[in-house]
Amino acid sequence: MDLATAKVWAGALCTFAIYSFLWKENRFFRAFQNLYVGLAAGYSLVVAFNTLKRQAWVPLAESGDVSVVVPIVFGILLFTRLSKKYGWIARYPMALLMGIGSALSMKAIESDFVRQIQASIISWKGTGIGGTFNNLVLSLGTAFALVYFFFTFKPTKASQVTGRLGRWVLMLCFGAAFGSAVQGRLSLLISQMQFLLRDWLRLIS
Amino acid sequence: MNVIKWFGTLDRRWLYALLLFVVVTPLIRPLGIPVDVTESTAQFVEAVEKLKPGDKMLLVFDYSIGGGPDVDPQAQVVLAHALSKGVKVVEVAFIDTGLNYAQKTIEKWEKAGKVYGEDILLLGYAAGSETAISAFAQDIAQVFPIDIRGKPLSSYPIMQGIQNAGDFDFIAEFATGIPGPAEWIRQVVTRYNVPLGCGVVAVMGPQNVPYLQSGQLVGLLGGGLKSAAEYEIAVNMPGAATAAMDAQSLGHVVIVLFVLIGNLLFLVERTEQKARKG
Repeated sequence: MDLATAKVWAGALCTFAIYSFLWKENRFFRAFQNLYVGLAAGYSLVVAFNTLKRQAWVPLAESGDVSVVVPIVFGILLFTRLSKKYGWIARYPMALLMGIGSALSMKAIESDFVRQIQASIISWKGTGIGGTFNNLVLSLGTAFALVYFFFTFKPTKASQVTGRLGRWVLMLCFGAAFGSAVQGRLSLLISQMQFLLRDWLRLIS
Repeated sequence: MNVIKWFGTLDRRWLYALLLFVVVTPLIRPLGIPVDVTESTAQFVEAVEKLKPGDKMLLVFDYSIGGGPDVDPQAQVVLAHALSKGVKVVEVAFIDTGLNYAQKTIEKWEKAGKVYGEDILLLGYAAGSETAISAFAQDIAQVFPIDIRGKPLSSYPIMQGIQNAGDFDFIAEFATGIPGPAEWIRQVVTRYNVPLGCGVVAVMGPQNVPYLQSGQLVGLLGGGLKSAAEYEIAVNMPGAATAAMDAQSLGHVVIVLFVLIGNLLFLVERTEQKARKG
């Protein structure tokens, strides 16, 4: 048996082991679940090591780029959390990371706020009946969903009705997301069946 | 009524068996259920179609193994389409597992005759999610001083004239979570105004439609495997995703049927409870 065939057989064995859970929880499944966790951890460790080597060690040791010393030191300081005595030091690189993260997220004001408001302000008249219906759903749906989250004033009859409609809009969105989730899970099953039928059993090309 | 109640007592494993049957059968004996190309996919195809030979595309592999079956066929067909047009493709990953998928594409296309460093290049993986994307967008060589094979980026012809994200003619990003379209729009589109097309797992599709409507995305493959099949059909490159569509359609029929039966059962039980109380 060559390496490629062995890989396919190993893949098939893993597939059966994991899907055996559908019959009932069993040792075979648990063993392969642990194997998967171990492999994923090992893979992440190797990728992290290689990334450090390529992006920190090589520029420093081979190109003499001292600018990478600062992030390397701050990165190492994060590990002081493992010590009870020096754990406080990790707060400094953590604070820096949080600061950078917050600053970068500020760009969302334009991308997720201003641009989305602009995109919601549209003419109701669209191309044909379908286009007009879509535009109406978009603008009214946005307005109703926003009214649902108005908590700062005493609700009136009008705001209660529109808020209820907003809840329906949200429910439709959740339904679409759930339907898409089902679609995604089915894709996983199909892909694995394609692997078994094509690569393992060679029933399809 | 009794049939509905009988479904309530049915062992769930029968449902699994039925689902397995309707998925496997059309894979072996395809039915040829037609697949329509949706507008968002057509927009993505059009954006890639507009690229000229020699233009440069950044292909981002931000997907995990769990979402790979949904998103990988999308990335594969977009890459095949771009390369068939003579577009140069630079690959990168901001999720560690994405690197594995990217490496496989390099092996595949090198075997197919594409020259590494001229037609296609893999920069590698950078940790740091959105922060790394922002740094990458400003200065690629600072985040990736060397590529995955350990050579400086300046030594590759494909990287000539590419310093930051704004130097690419098109960015195609494939994601299963964070980082995803929102991060790329925030850090790259907002600042560099590069055309960005995204492919995502089906569950992320609806939440990214507003970006397409606002013009921040030029195309969206938001339906997972279904979008990949649409793309394959649109560019006449039928592959694994197209072959999977019969199975997906029949699988959905079974699931919808059981959701309906479950709801019917719930209504029947509630009606009976009310009658008993009442």
